Amino acid sequence: MTKTIVVTSGKGGVGKTTTSASFAVGLACRGFKTVVIDFDIGLRNLDLIMGCERRVVYDFVNVIRNEANLNQALIRDKHVKDLFILPASQTRDKDALTLEGVEKILNELSKTFDYIVCDSPAGIERGAQLAMYFADSAIVVTNPEVSSVRDSDRILGLLSSKTKRAEEGREPISEHLLLTRYSAKRVARGDMLSLSDVNEILAIPLLGIIPESQAVLRASNGGEPVIMDEMSDAGQAYADAVARFFR
Amino acid sequence: MTVSTLSIVEQPCFQFKASFIPCAVLQLLHYDLDAIHDQISATIRCAPNLFKGSFVIIDLEKLNPADILNYAKLKHIVATNGMVPIAIRAGSAEQQQAAVMDGLSLLPAAKLNITELDKQKNVQQTRQTKLVTHPVRSGMQIYAKDGDLIVTAAVSPGAELFSDGCIHVYGALRGRALAGVQGNMQARIFCRSLEAELVSISGYYLTKEDMQTFTAKDGMVQIFLENEKVRIEAI
Ligand SMILES: Nc1ncnc2c1ncn2[C@@H]1O[C@H](COP(=O)(O)OP(=O)(O)O)[C@@H](O)[C@H]1O
Ligand SMILES: [Mg+2]
Repeated sequence: MTKTIVVTSGKGGVGKTTTSASFAVGLACRGFKTVVIDFDIGLRNLDLIMGCERRVVYDFVNVIRNEANLNQALIRDKHVKDLFILPASQTRDKDALTLEGVEKILNELSKTFDYIVCDSPAGIERGAQLAMYFADSAIVVTNPEVSSVRDSDRILGLLSSKTKRAEEGREPISEHLLLTRYSAKRVARGDMLSLSDVNEILAIPLLGIIPESQAVLRASNGGEPVIMDEMSDAGQAYADAVARFFR
Repeated sequence: MTVSTLSIVEQPCFQFKASFIPCAVLQLLHYDLDAIHDQISATIRCAPNLFKGSFVIIDLEKLNPADILNYAKLKHIVATNGMVPIAIRAGSAEQQQAAVMDGLSLLPAAKLNITELDKQKNVQQTRQTKLVTHPVRSGMQIYAKDGDLIVTAAVSPGAELFSDGCIHVYGALRGRALAGVQGNMQARIFCRSLEAELVSISGYYLTKEDMQTFTAKDGMVQIFLENEKVRIEAI
């Protein structure tokens, strides 16, 4: 059975794309055939983080509009076997994604992939709702600050009401908290919320804590997801988070 | 919630949705535009977000029926304080007519003459209880119509509970809870960990600032109305 994971947060700039890329690599390294989809229409960040921007010819929207087939649009990752990227479109037309279109593509991907990772755009509107609609699991990426926690809380509300599983009354989406850009120093100074502050409001199982790290910027400049930088603190934290996902 | 559902059928141009939008009632006690202006501004300064963007109904029930109101100015005062005046209720025929001329709607008066028969009907209606076992997250609204609301999980900041009857919360109450929203002054709120942004009984409310002396550590409390004042008491 294919599992669809949405990486979501509400707030922008918290680390969704960074997480989607590293998580997808982590899953593929464990031998699962994995595809990671960029739902952030118009921005297109994932291909940069994955270092495949020069190989983008067709994208998600082209496939929805039948201008290309899936095999033409999927990009094979150069680092890991069994990993593919479906890039977002540069179009400014935010309505280019439709529920039927997304469903069609996910159904087709389900025939060959074990994991589908959906990198959600920011916000709680249409784009974010489409990214989460068909999910089986959700990784809620949260920074230790009040506004991010509030947005994650809203996203959790949507996950439990505006998704296919919720509407069909099936077993709810499994929710995982990933606390990112965590700085122990700033928590100690009181500039940031602590893990227990965040837990008190969100109260969902913790998948991991990713420290604020120079390695993340280095990795995105080099087009290699940070999880591949095995010596770095953030890379190790992502590897731990993937491991915990299977526990 | 303002989030639109993803509709499979794109055909129809609209959907009618029943909705329960909270609004504030500005009950005028005496008519003095300057004093009203000062008092509203002061209230908004104390709680800038509480009424931001909220609809306002101007209630004339306690006003002298002979007062001639300048609705244009009244609307201006409300609007410049970030709220949206939509309607009046009660008042004399002349006051109502003038309001309509000035573009305000007319709502039926709040106080109903409750007869014995109605009371019995109310008792029957309030028997329905709404049970919520999942966390109520920021941005969610839950309304228990005609009855009580029981929430066995936490209520996040930014979430809202409404009930025609009582509200019971067994997780932490961090959002807003409004009991007796149709005017039931006997309604109460019971909660185990009071950390709310606002609690209200039949339109009378306390904000977080008003409740500072109470902390979550006080444990189980009940919130009720006594002489038109909201009281909090440990139980
Ligand atoms: N753990 C981290 N440490 C330092 N910088 C980070 C970390 N995670 C993300 N960033 C940086 O934050 C910015 C936003 O990250 P991104 O993954 O694009 O977020 P989102 O997809 O949620 O908008 C990027 O510049 C990224 O390099
Ligand atoms: Mg992103």
